Amino acid sequence: MELLDRYLQAVRKRLPWNRQDDIVAELKVNLESQLEEKEAALGRPLTPLEAESWLRQLGSPAQMAARYMPQRYLIGPKLFPTYVYALKVVFFWALVTYSVVCAVQLATGVLANASDVALALLRAPVIVMNLAAWVTLAFAIVEFAKRSSTARKLGMVPPTPDWQPATLPPLEMELATGKKRRSYAHAVAEVVFGFLFLIWFLLVPEFPYLMFGPGAWYLSASPYQLAAVWMVAYWWLVGLNAMGLIWNIVQLMRGEWQNQGLTHHVVFKTAGLVPVLVLAMARERVLVVLRHPAIDQMRYGGSLDAINQGLHKALMILTALIVLQLLWDLGVKGLELLRSGQTPSVGPRSKNVRG
Amino acid sequence: MTIAENLFENLRLELRRGCLTLAVLAQLRQEHYGYTLRKALAEHGLEIDESTLYPLLRRLETQGLLASEWREEDKRNKRFYRLSDDGLAIFGQLLKEWQEINASIDKIL
Repeated sequence: MELLDRYLQAVRKRLPWNRQDDIVAELKVNLESQLEEKEAALGRPLTPLEAESWLRQLGSPAQMAARYMPQRYLIGPKLFPTYVYALKVVFFWALVTYSVVCAVQLATGVLANASDVALALLRAPVIVMNLAAWVTLAFAIVEFAKRSSTARKLGMVPPTPDWQPATLPPLEMELATGKKRRSYAHAVAEVVFGFLFLIWFLLVPEFPYLMFGPGAWYLSASPYQLAAVWMVAYWWLVGLNAMGLIWNIVQLMRGEWQNQGLTHHVVFKTAGLVPVLVLAMARERVLVVLRHPAIDQMRYGGSLDAINQGLHKALMILTALIVLQLLWDLGVKGLELLRSGQTPSVGPRSKNVRG
Repeated sequence: MTIAENLFENLRLELRRGCLTLAVLAQLRQEHYGYTLRKALAEHGLEIDESTLYPLLRRLETQGLLASEWREEDKRNKRFYRLSDDGLAIFGQLLKEWQEINASIDKIL
């Protein structure tokens, strides 16, 4: 039957070249046997409509040929969860990095006007799509290597990671005190915003308007300016923030983000006192100086002393508050430790599970 | 097809997939070529589409469970399949597994 031959020809074109003859020969004899039996039962050849209906039941040539092919994946089900995870991580860090770059460009004037900013925003999806394409390509190559017999013989197949239950992150449970532990998202957000804050803070001396807004102009126009001791305190603050950022990154990498612990708290609260003490103990309590002393001493000298006295008092009060807060926090943490030591178990009870 | 019908069809196909392999292996304890195998299964109440059965035979042969040879019958060259030695061993294990599952389901029901 001509229609059957045309059907088989269409199937043949969709089969791998080295199996075409064999498969089509077998399919032809099976289908011809079926056709003969149908015609014998009817006592006549199939009409064109009946033949079409019969072939339609077999499925399209593409469907028929596809059934002879091994199941094909760009990225198989075993690799897919890792692929999705990698995509999420890459997307996240790409967007964070790009945002930081854009923020710096905005601050330094590289992105000068609204159209530059709009272009930068429009570029973000392109960057993300490009990265997604590269990640997909990398995973497709790994998937191909996994199934390729040549790659297997050459030992190019990446090993399946030896999964250990002990490497699972600890439960995100309530502490005995009812205070929730830091989530992963919270820890990641702290790193990201810590990084952005540090960049912003480093730009402040060069671009004071980032901190003071329009007030920066009034400061520059006033007869007063900050004493050199402020820069000492500033670099202490930069160091502290950099240290905090590194600490958070290390915690994330070690999988210990859930509980920052007492050491972290004490170290950072105490270190946070240093820049305040540097200012509070400034030589002769000089925190603000005159921009042009020779010219302005007569006119502004009196108010300058009052400003310095006021600032010193404020700094002493601030120091006292920080010390009190540190002592309070130490007391609360100590109590938490005491309670957790008395509580036999704070996690859900595990059940015996058999696979 | 409604969502419920579609869901049922998917689950039915999933349920049938393993059973069809078992039925084909069982039937091929006697030699058959594609079309007579399909007829024999249908006579036992198990209808299988051509596009499912014929590729399945190829896959089982590639896996070493079936042996095949081209032979002339009724002036036509046909590919005859039968269970290989490995296939027979695996069939025994699968049958035992199926009987245990069946017994368990019966108990549950």
